[in-house]
Amino acid sequence: MREHLNRVFKVGWTNFKRNSYLSFGTTGVMALVLMLFSGLMVVNFLSSTVIGSLEDKVDISVYFKNEASEGEIREVRQQLENFGSVARVEYISRDQALEDFKQRHAGDALIQESLAELEDNPLQASLNVKATDSSKYPSIVEFLEANKFRSLVDKINFYENEQVIKRVQSISNGMRNWGFLATMILAVVAVLVTFNTIRLTIYNQRQEIEIMRLVGGSNWHIKAPYLVEGGLYGALAAAITIVIFYPVAYFMSPKVESLMPGVSLIGYFVSNGFQYVFLVAFVGILLGVASSFIAIRRFLKV
Amino acid sequence: MIELKDVYTIYDDEIEVLNGVNLHIKDGEFVSIVGPSGAGKSTLLRLMTREILPYQGQVVIDGVNIVDLPSKAIPLLRRKIGTIYQDFKLLSNKTAFENVAFAMEVCGLDEHEIGNDVPKVLGIVGLNDKLNSFPHQMSGGEKQRLAIARALIHRPRIILADEPTGNLDMVNSYDVVKLLTKINELGTTVILATHNREVVNAIGKRVISMEKGKVVRDQVENGKYVL
Repeated sequence: MREHLNRVFKVGWTNFKRNSYLSFGTTGVMALVLMLFSGLMVVNFLSSTVIGSLEDKVDISVYFKNEASEGEIREVRQQLENFGSVARVEYISRDQALEDFKQRHAGDALIQESLAELEDNPLQASLNVKATDSSKYPSIVEFLEANKFRSLVDKINFYENEQVIKRVQSISNGMRNWGFLATMILAVVAVLVTFNTIRLTIYNQRQEIEIMRLVGGSNWHIKAPYLVEGGLYGALAAAITIVIFYPVAYFMSPKVESLMPGVSLIGYFVSNGFQYVFLVAFVGILLGVASSFIAIRRFLKV
Repeated sequence: MIELKDVYTIYDDEIEVLNGVNLHIKDGEFVSIVGPSGAGKSTLLRLMTREILPYQGQVVIDGVNIVDLPSKAIPLLRRKIGTIYQDFKLLSNKTAFENVAFAMEVCGLDEHEIGNDVPKVLGIVGLNDKLNSFPHQMSGGEKQRLAIARALIHRPRIILADEPTGNLDMVNSYDVVKLLTKINELGTTVILATHNREVVNAIGKRVISMEKGKVVRDQVENGKYVL
């Protein structure tokens, strides 16, 4: 068995070397496909970052009437934090709200004067609620509406923000769905290109396959070296892709960062380096082996 | 023993190639099958390797009707038979050594045995200095001798030769026939399909003449090329 496997790999490697022209062409096409695949990963990463930051900007505020005690507000906060779809809750006390307001309008003398004339703090305590997903806000509001402390709540600004939240949500969903569709279409194109390239390579050797059949080669005996050859195309194409991809990502990274501050393209692909290399190699080898497997089947019917 | 019983074949659902052929070939015989192009000589040989199926009749080799053979068993049948073709059918991206070795590999023989036997058989056909040559680096006669070496390597009980001299000059043709005669003398059944009159007359063994898909003459001993 071991000798048989050795032979299969040896013959696969020898065929790969001897068909150098074809191997070179096929590997090149597969490398392009894998680069396209890497490009899709970059686009996915960037679009999910954009969606993430968009969604991050959305939250709702619950304003409490002045008679609500801090203890009661903290209890509401506790309940919200235990509610499944809430990511985090921030409490802003009346004093904190006033402080923030003063700071925000530090340069506006009129506002400062008006505040000084007021005896009482006019601002309300509030809870800023961030959901795990923007589609969850209505259910959080529903939860608050049915809450026993509802009478202490003055207003929930969800109703003013509802339209904005819905728009952000539809943009995010649109980007996700269209991105997914585009990825799928390109992936299908990539698979077809690889499959056809390998099919042509094997078609070129159809006579050899026929001869192997005529001298008594079993299907497995004929097929195995071609599968190894297909795998080698994939592995080499993956290596080429990785060698080209990282320098390109390195040089593109500052440009991306100038458009989207705080986003590091190279940082992402370095910290997920193992997964990226594994995925590209896995997809490359799988594409090569599977394409060979399908392509050779029709030539084994002599 | 090879037996064809009432065999009919059709190409493209309408062209009748073999038209009720009955044949009986004993072990160790040398049989030349002669006839003009389109008489059905090659079809007869292709039936024996299960490249094609008859639409009626039986093809029996060593007691087994190979028409009913499951497709998995076809490689095993082909390993019992050595086949030589007019166009050599050599693997162009393999060396002479590898071409012959391939026929042993498919039989599951180990590297040691392959390393021993291949140079020997290449020596028998006079190609000991061409072990590492590719087919495109060899002459027509050398290619055919290589094909014979490949057909011989697993010591088959039957050799089928389909127009083996068709692409060769007279000298090389006689070399090939001499080799086939020698193989036959060692006990292998040889079936030679040809329309080379000189070659058939020089062999002087059983000659079966075919015409329009039928056996029209069967000269069991010292046969001559007669249509």
